[in-house]
Amino acid sequence: MVNIDDLKTEAKRVLKGGNVKYIIGYGRASDTWKANPVFLRSPEDVDKLVWDPTCFHNLVRFLVDEKRRKAKEKPPDPRPVGIVAKGCDSRAIVVLLQEKFFERMDVFVLGVSCESTGMIDERKLAGKTAGKDVRRVAFGEDQKFVVETDAGTLEIAASEVLADRCLDCIANVPVISDHLLGDKTKRTVANPFRAVEKMESLSGDDRWSFWKDQLKKCIRCYACRSACPMCYCEECVVDTINFAVTAETSAEEKAQRIKWLEKSPVGSENVFYHLVRAIHLAGRCIDCGECERACPVNIPLRMLNKKLEKEAKELFGYDAGFDADQPALISCFRDGDPEDFIR
Amino acid sequence: MTEEFEPTIIAFLCKWCSSAGSDLAGVSRMEYPPNVTPIQVMCSGSVSPLYVFSAFHRGADGVLVSGCHPGDCHYIKGNYYARRKLSLVKKLLEYVGLEPERFQVSWVSAAEGQKYTRVIKDFVNELKPLGPQTKLRRSP
Repeated sequence: MVNIDDLKTEAKRVLKGGNVKYIIGYGRASDTWKANPVFLRSPEDVDKLVWDPTCFHNLVRFLVDEKRRKAKEKPPDPRPVGIVAKGCDSRAIVVLLQEKFFERMDVFVLGVSCESTGMIDERKLAGKTAGKDVRRVAFGEDQKFVVETDAGTLEIAASEVLADRCLDCIANVPVISDHLLGDKTKRTVANPFRAVEKMESLSGDDRWSFWKDQLKKCIRCYACRSACPMCYCEECVVDTINFAVTAETSAEEKAQRIKWLEKSPVGSENVFYHLVRAIHLAGRCIDCGECERACPVNIPLRMLNKKLEKEAKELFGYDAGFDADQPALISCFRDGDPEDFIR
Repeated sequence: MTEEFEPTIIAFLCKWCSSAGSDLAGVSRMEYPPNVTPIQVMCSGSVSPLYVFSAFHRGADGVLVSGCHPGDCHYIKGNYYARRKLSLVKKLLEYVGLEPERFQVSWVSAAEGQKYTRVIKDFVNELKPLGPQTKLRRSP
């Protein structure tokens, strides 16, 4: 099991040595049982660190913001940023390295292994605690989680409350790290694409009615976009910001402006947005499931991402986020790529 | 008598091969259905998935992307990139429930006017029984 003291010691060491600018890790706000992202800037801060099954955030998102911040620094601080990364988060770092978003030396990875369990799904847990307030969740023995509630302590089998993404996880041990904590035994998953295959077995019209109903719910809050470490475009197709609006711009001109899609949360526009989001993540999504977790209306976004992950694997033998030296999925090709769909 | 449904097809044709191929079909006075709106692009590799989604979004009943045969790309490897990208687009569209016939990719060289007419004819014949595309179309 990952010993939190080891993590603190290592964090303290690098902070003391001034080797890193700051460390992004998991901490806890006073009034909640869930872990929060925390930024450690001095060696004394390391006591804020926690490690439990509620550390579900993908902190790599903050590295994207860090790059923007760094661009404005004068003079820029060349030191790396430390980050506590789970297996899935480390894959996100690999994809960003692959895309040359930042350099390997810009980031100091404190890898933590999820071992044989993973992170909990809040919604699943709520179904187990029968309305009682949860105070703490901790890793227990034998793949169990110890849940402390107002009305006593429960032991729940991990498989019952694990997030879906953790049940399908193929990288429980961080792929890259400068310092790795926890057991390094890799876990095997029988079939990470079960849900997708089930969906594929439906008829086209059934699939459409499923997605139509799901995407109709979307309120276009863009939480999925904000939570995703891969969504780092300066300008997203959905918000057209490079159109200069001056005092002379007439209302008609604004309305006539060519745009890919409307901002209104209407079925057809939502479908368009989610198709674009999914295709932009093809071969990049590392299935951290943050989009789905962040979604306030429970759209099964992972099902879309997972489909393209499956196709990338089946058609092109490509697994995102394992090898930073490999070219990205759609920036390379092979002579023998499938061609049966072309006339 | 009810009027027969005439599908609207948006065809993204690469400038160097398919567009010239369609031109050849035209100047050779070959007959083919007038359902196609051709859009010339510099290379099939430059066709963003966004173009395809957008065409459906704005009411196309079918979308065709056509480029040079593998190995013949004017830019050496644009069509190889297109092949990868578009196969993913096709899979995704099928997955959300769009009929697979509605999105087609073809290789048509500048000399294949005949093939171009055949591709269009087949496409129109496949689209007719499907009726209008309403799934991805912008709601009024």
